[in-house]
Amino acid sequence: MHETAMTLNTTELLVIPALPLAASLVAGLFGWALKERLTHWICCLAVIASAILSADVFMQVQQGASFYGNFWTWMLSDQFVVPVGMMIDRLTAIMMLTVTIVSACVHVYTIGYMHGDPGYTRFFSYISGFTFSMLVLVMGNNFFTLFFGWEAVGLVSYLLIGFWFKRESANFAALKAFIVNRVGDFGFAVGILAIWYYFGTIDYREVFNQVESFVAQGHALHFLGWEISAITFICLALFIGAMGKSGQVPLHVWLPDSMEGPTPISALIHAATMVTAGVFMVARCSPMFEFSETALAAVTLVGAITAWMCATIGLVQNDIKRVIAYSTCSQLGYMFVACGVSAYSVGIFHLMTHAYFKALLFLAAGSVIHAVLADQDIRRMGQLRKYMPVTYFAMLIAALALSGVPPFAGFWSKDLIIESAKVADHLGWVGDLAYWAVLSGVFMTAFYTFRMFFLTFHNSDRLPEKTKAHVHESPKVITVPLLILSVGAALSGWWGVEVLDVANPEVAEGYFGASLFVMESHNPLATLVEEGHHAFFLTAPFWMAVGGIALAFVMYFRETAIPARLVASARPLYTFLLNKWYWDELYERIFMLPAQRIGRWLWQKGDLAIIDQGIIHGGFVETVKAGAARMREMQTGMVYHYAFAMVIGAFGFLTYLLLKG
Amino acid sequence: MANVTFPFPFPEHLSALLPEILVAVLAMALLIVDLFVPKERKALTGYLSLATILVAGVALMQVADGTSVTAFYGFFTLDPFAVFSKLLILAGTAIAIIMSLDYIRSEENVGEYFVLMLFAMLGMMLLVSANNFVTMYLGIELMALSIYVLVGYQRDTLRSNEAALKYFILGSLSSGMLLYGITFFYGVTSSLDFKQIGEALAAAPSSEHTAVLLGLVFIIAGLAFKVSMAPFHMWTPDAYEGAPTPITAFMSAAPKVAGFVVFVRIVADALPALEHETVMILSGMAVLTMAVGNLAAIAQRNIKRMLAYSTIGHVGFVTLGLIAGSGSGYAGMLVYLAIYLFMGMGAFAVIVLMRREGIQGELLDDFAGLAKVRPGYALAMGLLLFSLAGIPFLGGFWAKYAVFIAAVQAGHVYLVIYALLFSVVGAFYYIRVVKYMYFDEARVPFDFSENRLMQATVALTAMAVVVLGIYPDPLMELCRQAVIGIG
Repeated sequence: MHETAMTLNTTELLVIPALPLAASLVAGLFGWALKERLTHWICCLAVIASAILSADVFMQVQQGASFYGNFWTWMLSDQFVVPVGMMIDRLTAIMMLTVTIVSACVHVYTIGYMHGDPGYTRFFSYISGFTFSMLVLVMGNNFFTLFFGWEAVGLVSYLLIGFWFKRESANFAALKAFIVNRVGDFGFAVGILAIWYYFGTIDYREVFNQVESFVAQGHALHFLGWEISAITFICLALFIGAMGKSGQVPLHVWLPDSMEGPTPISALIHAATMVTAGVFMVARCSPMFEFSETALAAVTLVGAITAWMCATIGLVQNDIKRVIAYSTCSQLGYMFVACGVSAYSVGIFHLMTHAYFKALLFLAAGSVIHAVLADQDIRRMGQLRKYMPVTYFAMLIAALALSGVPPFAGFWSKDLIIESAKVADHLGWVGDLAYWAVLSGVFMTAFYTFRMFFLTFHNSDRLPEKTKAHVHESPKVITVPLLILSVGAALSGWWGVEVLDVANPEVAEGYFGASLFVMESHNPLATLVEEGHHAFFLTAPFWMAVGGIALAFVMYFRETAIPARLVASARPLYTFLLNKWYWDELYERIFMLPAQRIGRWLWQKGDLAIIDQGIIHGGFVETVKAGAARMREMQTGMVYHYAFAMVIGAFGFLTYLLLKG
Repeated sequence: MANVTFPFPFPEHLSALLPEILVAVLAMALLIVDLFVPKERKALTGYLSLATILVAGVALMQVADGTSVTAFYGFFTLDPFAVFSKLLILAGTAIAIIMSLDYIRSEENVGEYFVLMLFAMLGMMLLVSANNFVTMYLGIELMALSIYVLVGYQRDTLRSNEAALKYFILGSLSSGMLLYGITFFYGVTSSLDFKQIGEALAAAPSSEHTAVLLGLVFIIAGLAFKVSMAPFHMWTPDAYEGAPTPITAFMSAAPKVAGFVVFVRIVADALPALEHETVMILSGMAVLTMAVGNLAAIAQRNIKRMLAYSTIGHVGFVTLGLIAGSGSGYAGMLVYLAIYLFMGMGAFAVIVLMRREGIQGELLDDFAGLAKVRPGYALAMGLLLFSLAGIPFLGGFWAKYAVFIAAVQAGHVYLVIYALLFSVVGAFYYIRVVKYMYFDEARVPFDFSENRLMQATVALTAMAVVVLGIYPDPLMELCRQAVIGIG
C-alpha cells in the first residue's frame, strides 16, 4: 500500500460507503419485518453518519491529507488485474461531500414524501444503495471501480424510474433510460478497454503518469481510412459514456422521461448527483483530455449544443418536473463546456452549486406536487404562495440561484463558465459558438425558471376545486431539508470562490491542487486574469439573467395575456419546441422501428422456425426423450442383466486395448 | 507428527491411525451400550455416534500436521490428501446420521444401524489412507459389507431387500474383478504396494504387456463399480431407491469420496507407466457415464432414482479430473467432491424432511406447491438444485469449473465440450423440480418432519453452496494444498 505524508484513516474511508450499503441491504432484505419507522431510521442515520464522516474527510483533505491504496484484488485474469482501491484527493472529497449531503437531505425528505406508499421500504433500500454506488464511483482508484459505480448507479436509476411499476409510462421511461445509457456505456467500456490495451493498467495514477510519454510516442488508430490518435480515441470513447450518463445531446432523451420516478429520486439521481458522473469522470481524466484538443473541442461542442437546445425546450414545457429536467440537461451542458475549455475546476464547482440548488428546486417542486394531489401541470396551479410559504421561499432561492442572480450559488459558477468560454480562443469557432450558446442560455434559463415560478406561486389561482380543499404546507420532514438545501443554494457559490478558492487561475494553488491537470498553453482562468477580465462584476451574463427574469415577470405576472397571443403568432415554433425538437420521433423512426422489425424477424425466423420447429420439434427433444427411455429400458431390474453389462463392459475395454496395441 | 503420548509403549507412527482406532473401539463399545438404551430412546445411540465422529475428527486434527507419514511398513499413509478426504467422509457420515435420527425411529434394531454406519465410515477412512492393495481391499470390503446391510435395513420392505441383494451380488462380482486384476499386477511386479508396482511396471518387459493390460482393465472395472461409473453403474438406481433415504444420501457422497481418492492414488502411483491406456479407458467410461446419468435422470418420476442418476452424472464430471491427472485435476476432483457432498446431501435432507401423510415424499410430484407451504424449504432446495445444475454463482458452478479447466489444460477439449453439453441436459431435470415447487399447486397436504438438527443441516448446506459460490478461493486453495505430492 502506498503511503503519503498525511494519510486518511482507512477504516473511516471504508465505513463511508459501507454504511449506506448495509442500510440498503437491511432495508431491502428485512424491510418487510422492520416496518416503515425502523427502516427509515436505519437508512437516514446511516446516510447522515456517512455525510458527517465525509465532511470530516473533506476537512482533512483540505489540510493536505490524501489517500491512495488498494484493499484487495477483485479479479485476476492473466495480466488483467482489477484491484479494489480508493483514491481520495480534493476532487473526490468535494464530490463525496456533495453526494452525501444531498443524499441525506433527500433521505429525510423521503420520509414525508413517500409516506404510506406500499413500496416504502423498497424505496429506502434503493436510495441507500444509490448512495453507496455513487460513493464507489467517486472514491475508486481505477477505471474498473469507476465502471462498477457507473453501472450500479445506472441500475438503481432504472429501478427508481420504474419504481411505480404498475404505471406503464414508468416502465417505458425506465427502459428508455436503461437502453439509452447502454449506448453510452458501450462507448465507456470501449474507452476503458482501450486504456487497458494501450497502458496495460487501469489504475488512475499509473495511467495518468504515463500519458505524457504515451502521447509523445504518437500511437494512432486506423479506422476506415481515418487516422485518429489513440489518446483522442480513448477520450472520445469515455466521453460517449459521459454523454449517456449526463444526458447530453443526442443521448439526452432519457433524462426528461426519468421524471416518471418519485420526486425525491428526480432530485437525488436525475439532477444532483448521478447525472453529474459524466462531468466528474471528464474532470478526473483531465490528465488525458488535456492532451487531446479534438476531444476537448467535442466536449465543448456537445455541451454547448445541449445547454442551448435543452434551454429552448424548457421554455414551453408545462410539467413542473419536466421544466426542471430540461434545465438539468442544459446545466450539465454548461459543466461540459467548462471542462471542454479546460476550466475543470469551474465545471466541478458548478456541479456542486448545481447539486444544491437543483436538488432544492426538485424537492420544492415535490412539495408542491405533494400538496396539489400529485398534479404536475403548472397550468393547473397558481397563487400557491398563500398556502405554502416555506416551499415558496425555498423555490425562490433555488430559482434565483439557477438563473444566476448574485449572490446566489449559480451566479458564481455560471459566470465563471461563460467568461472561460469567452476566452477559449484555442478552440477556434467551437469556443465562440460555446460562448454565445451559454450566454443566450442564461437568458432562457432565467425566463423558463421564473415562468415556472410565477405560474406556480403567483399568477391567477387556477387550482381545481378538489385540490383547493386539500392544498397545505408540507410537514416538517419535507420543509427542513428544503431549508438546509436553501443554505447551500444561497451560499455555496460564495463559499466556493472566497473560502475554497476554486477559481484560482493556477489550479494547483487553488482548492483542487494536484487533483486536476490543466496545460499551461490553454488555461482560460489564467487568460481571464491576464486580459484584465474580472469575473465578478456586472457583465453580460448578469444582464441576461435579469432580462430573462424581467420578461417572465411581464408575461406571467403582469400582462398574463401575452403568452397566448405569442403562441398563436408563432405556432410552428411553439409546436416544435413543445415536441422537444422531435428527438423522440426521430429515434423512433431511425432506431426503434427497424429494431422492432429485426426483432420480429428473429423471433419468427430464428426462434419459431429454427429453434422451435427445427430443433425442438425436429428431433432434438425426441432424441433426448428416446435416449432417456432407452436408458430406462436397459435398467431392467434383473441382476443378471446388470452383471452381464459389467462383464461385457470390462471385456469390451480389454478387447479394445489389446487390439489397439 | 504431533506429539501424542500414550500411557503405554506404541509402535512407531501407529498414532497416525489414532482416529481409526478410536472409531473402531468406540463403535464396538456403542454396540454394547446400545443394549441398555430403551427402545423408544434409540436416538441416543445416534447422538453417541455423532460424538464418536466428533472424537475422531478431533483426533484427526491432532495427528495431522501437514506432513506425509506412513505406518505399518507402508500399508497405511496419512498425508494431507488423506486428511482432507477423511474430513469430508466424517462430515458426510455425520450429516447422514443426523438425517437418520428421525427417519429410523420407526425401525427396529436401531443401534446396529448407527454402528454399521460407523463401520462403513471406518472402512472409508482406511481406504483413503491405503497405500497398498491389501489395505485398499480391506477398506473396500469393510465399507461395502456395512452398506449392503444398511441398504436392506427395512427388512419388511420388499424393495429394500431386493436392493440389498442386488447390490451384494454385483458388489461381490466387482470385488472378484478387482482381486483378479490385482493378481495380474502381483504376478508381473511381485508387489502390492502402489509405488513399487508403479516402478516395476515402468520397467516391465513388453512380453508381459497383455497381463498388465488385463490387470489394468479389471482393477479399473472394480473401482469403477464402487464410484458408479458406466457400464458398472447399474446397481446404483435400484440400491438408491430401495435404501432408506439417509443411507441413499450417505452412499451418494461419502463412498464416492473414498472411491475417487483411492482411484487417484492408484492412477498416480501405480499406473503412470500406463497413462495412455488409463486415460483411454477412463475417457470411454466418462463419456458413457455422463450420457447415462444425465439422460436417464430425465425419465425418472421418483426423486431418489433421479438423484441416483444425477450422482452418476456427477461421477462422470469428476472423472474428468482423474483423466486430466496432474495436481490441478486432482485438486479439481477434491473441490468437486467436497461441494457435491454438501449440495447432494442437502438435497436428500430436504427429501427426508418432507413427509406426506406420514409417507416419505419420493415422487417428483410430491414437491408440487412446496414454495407456498414452506418457502424456506423450497428456497433451500432451489439453491441446492441450481447448484447441482452448475448455475453460477453457486458452489456447483465452481466444482464443474475446477475439473473442466483442469481437463482443458490437459488437452481434453472435446471431452469438456461433451461434458458441457450434458450439463445443459442435466440442468433440465434439476430445474424441473424447481418448477414443481414454485409453479405447481399442491394436491395432497404436506406433512413435515420438524427435527431442528435436520433443518439446521438443510440451512447450512444451502448456505454453504451460496458462500462457496461467491467465495470459493479458500476451498480451492485447501484442495490445491491437499494434493501436493500426489502424482
